Amino acid sequence: MSEFTIERMKTGIPGLDELIEGGFPKGDTILVAGKAGTGKSILAIQFLYKGATLYNESGVLVTLEEPPRLIRRNMLRFGMDLAKLEQTGKLAIVDLSPSKEIAPVTIGEYPSFDLSGLEAIIMNHVKRINAQRVVIDTLSIMAYKFRSRDILREEFFKLCAAITRAGCTLLLTSEVPAQDTGLGVFDIEAFLASGVIVLYNEKISDTSRSRSIEVLKLRGSKHSSRIHSMRITDEGIRVWPGEITPSH
Amino acid sequence: MPKKREKAAKVEEEEPPVIEIFLFKSDACIFCPRAEEVVRETIDDFDASIFKFTIINVTETPEAAERYGIFALPTVMIGGVSVTGIPEPEMLLKMILGAKVSKKKGETE
Repeated sequence: MSEFTIERMKTGIPGLDELIEGGFPKGDTILVAGKAGTGKSILAIQFLYKGATLYNESGVLVTLEEPPRLIRRNMLRFGMDLAKLEQTGKLAIVDLSPSKEIAPVTIGEYPSFDLSGLEAIIMNHVKRINAQRVVIDTLSIMAYKFRSRDILREEFFKLCAAITRAGCTLLLTSEVPAQDTGLGVFDIEAFLASGVIVLYNEKISDTSRSRSIEVLKLRGSKHSSRIHSMRITDEGIRVWPGEITPSH
Repeated sequence: MPKKREKAAKVEEEEPPVIEIFLFKSDACIFCPRAEEVVRETIDDFDASIFKFTIINVTETPEAAERYGIFALPTVMIGGVSVTGIPEPEMLLKMILGAKVSKKKGETE
């Protein structure tokens, strides 16, 4: 066995690092997939928050769905003050949500475009705050914003490559439609990432649900192949590495 | 004298409203040069004084694109509506007409 070890980026999410050999491989793209309400955004933003507060690593949050004011408010519930991190240059929130008042109404789309604008916007913030972590939340919204999915698929690869080439570890969230069994609406989400984390919130009886987390793949890592219990606590997401979910 | 002033004011009122056209492009975008050509060719058929054509290079000023939430390029924005990709001239004409109508409506209200 080679003694070569992959440099890791700790997530800081209690219990998760134990499942993945101490953290995500640095400079990789990781997909966090799950149905609505499974905690994808919380996990992704917690990754940025912990990076800034525990490891002095700044991060960029690109929000394509939820407006920043709601994200700040919701994360405060877990004691995570994002505004404070923004003020100290440890976090940049890029608002590309549909709620922007100044945004024009799109009335036409021709299959001759790229996402070089998105790359320029993200890289501007990465350079500005010397970010090591980037989150795009959520990739799935692009399927509703644009019709040309073939273009998007190709552009996602270019975008991920540009961000990770800059040395950043990239987390993409992907919403799995309710009746779907895949990892997202584009069918290529798993190919984009070298690591895939799946979150579940399964109904286990008429009155209760059980949250769990699975590391589906993580290249270069001996990760757990079990499905582990996860809870959303007052301090955010917590994983129980020793607890295997009974429903799976 | 007051009569003259009245006349000057009338002339000002009759001046056609300026329609602002924005083209968002980047250095890396291979479709953007053609999009710019289409916009220029389309507005060439009109009196140039009624347009203000602004090109925003997102590579140089990403903040401008972020402000409008525009990240797919090329995107042409006219009067609060936009099209992404190389536009058809007919679509641009519709947008220009729409902007003209809404400007006039805004003036009369």
